[in-house]
Amino acid sequence: MEQQVCHVTEDEKDILQEIMNIAFGKAAADLAEVINIFVVLNVPRIQVLKGAELSGYLREEISDFSDLSIIEQNFRGKFRGSAFLVFPSGAGKELVAMLDADHEETFESGTIDLLEKESLMEVGNILIGACVGKMSELLGDVVTYSPPKVVVENHPNEIIPNNLFNPEYTAIVMKTLFQFDDRNISGFLFLVTTHDSVAWLQQSLARFLEQYE
Amino acid sequence: MAKKFLLVDDSPISRKMLKSCIPVEGVAEFLEAGDGLKGLNVFKEASPDITFLDLTMPVMDGVQALEEMKKHDPDAVIIVATADIQAKSIEKVMALGAFHVLKKPPTKDSVREILQKVDEYRRR
Amino acid sequence: MSELSQLFDTVNIGLVILDRDLKVKYWNRWMEYHSGIAAERIIGASLFAHFPSLNTRKFLRNCKSVLTFGNFSFFSQKLHHYLFPFRSDSSFESRFEFMQQSCALGPLRDESNTITALYLTVQDVTELASYEHRLLEMNMRDGLTGVYNRRFLEKRLAEEFDRHVRYARNFSVIMFDIDFFKKVNDTHGHQCGDFILKGVSGKIAAMIRKTDFLARYGGEEFCCLLPETDIAAATVLAERFRQTIAGMVHCYQKTEIIVTISLGVSGLSGQFPSSDVLLKRADDALYAAKGSGRNRVVALS
Repeated sequence: MEQQVCHVTEDEKDILQEIMNIAFGKAAADLAEVINIFVVLNVPRIQVLKGAELSGYLREEISDFSDLSIIEQNFRGKFRGSAFLVFPSGAGKELVAMLDADHEETFESGTIDLLEKESLMEVGNILIGACVGKMSELLGDVVTYSPPKVVVENHPNEIIPNNLFNPEYTAIVMKTLFQFDDRNISGFLFLVTTHDSVAWLQQSLARFLEQYE
Repeated sequence: MAKKFLLVDDSPISRKMLKSCIPVEGVAEFLEAGDGLKGLNVFKEASPDITFLDLTMPVMDGVQALEEMKKHDPDAVIIVATADIQAKSIEKVMALGAFHVLKKPPTKDSVREILQKVDEYRRR
Repeated sequence: MSELSQLFDTVNIGLVILDRDLKVKYWNRWMEYHSGIAAERIIGASLFAHFPSLNTRKFLRNCKSVLTFGNFSFFSQKLHHYLFPFRSDSSFESRFEFMQQSCALGPLRDESNTITALYLTVQDVTELASYEHRLLEMNMRDGLTGVYNRRFLEKRLAEEFDRHVRYARNFSVIMFDIDFFKKVNDTHGHQCGDFILKGVSGKIAAMIRKTDFLARYGGEEFCCLLPETDIAAATVLAERFRQTIAGMVHCYQKTEIIVTISLGVSGLSGQFPSSDVLLKRADDALYAAKGSGRNRVVALS
């Protein structure tokens, strides 16, 4: 039988937090320089939970939002898990303006909704890709991604799927608050690693730290 | 001459990483602090030769600590060590009197390069 | 030829590789066929030299993101319809001028994991898109009469209302129903009733402009939205509806039946707080038309 609960030490959490911090710093710098998206990624927080506690935790964390949209994207590599981007409702409109998305088709009924949804997904895709990409780069891995999905659309915080992860298994949750510089939008990014990548993650953290022994 | 380094960062791992990158010639003294306020107090008491300062910290953040340190000693050499490497953020701390910005993660090379700049600056 | 290159040339999907300067490095046979551009001609050239319409901020932003972070980018058919302006292959479906495409971008790396290029995949989803279109269409229509259904009407009413309030434009609503419809059903049967419903709605649908909307609101009740129309013009139109229906003879299984309609008209004139109130006003007018003897038009501003 595979071991179901992994023990993650305080030191490991500390180094993971530092790596996230570095990765997000690089992500933000590249986003600004290459893609003209100016985002502030705040210091990440790490939680080690059991799968069963996950949806309760996420619900608690986002309880301040009355209305929200959630974008989900899975990443697969040795580093593996799901990313959730939580936007307050109304963010879609702001993002459309931020991306300067063309309005040529606003004539069609429902196109505005679609434009907002697509802008949420595009920004989600880029933001998640930047953060996860830089992190896996630091950890020496290359990941692939599923297409982003809007899993909750302008809803109060009711629907967070309960069966995201095996209830018995360990999940490491990395949470960060982000804000777009020139826009009044802030939201949360959650990265949740699956159980089977925890052992790999621990090895990579050790390897990363070896450089500094 | 013994050199006195002050490392201010809330992450012990981060302090450890930085420390391992600082080349030690002869005798060196390392002082550490886990938040901006503690860092400021140590800074005032010990007058370190070189201070490495993180930006995002509890109690007092690095920007505020930097301002207070420069107020206390305008000639102090304070190196901001941060993961926030957006051009804008770098400009901001440089304007506040930081000697240089060290991008995290630190490497032996990047730290040596900055320490050389400090030496050149002091020799002038 | 290697198995892989045979596969790339036979698979029913467009495959392109672009270098970091977005010059074409690979162009599979599917792309050759649909674009009419041979691989030899396009390889080495900038993609934008052949497809200037791709040179948008969004496309560039997504290419840069893939090349910088190694993420994937997706261009769904829903919003973009297509990246490459190719003629649709399936001739039976003329709804779309161009092939509907679902496209994706992703990174390609060298041995040291440095991103050196990006790939682009193009999938023809024209058929799927037209099925979806048809389903959506069915979802907005009333099954019996083919005019719009109530759900669509309410959504459209709210949208039109907002638009006309925002730009201070004229907007009117006509509500009407068939007089003594229950008697038609009781005397001639429900199938005859259905026949009359189709006849009346079909006639009126033919009398309105393309920009107007006719919907079945309930049993024998219909509603007509008239953008850019003031209440006076709407009242004139309602009177034409009334006369036309009153002059129409419905032949159902050799029985000749004549029905009349009562109509209520209301129009936007500033004091309506919501689309519901506008609709209620038209309904009140209809009620008044019924109460004062039927087969007539009442307008309430």
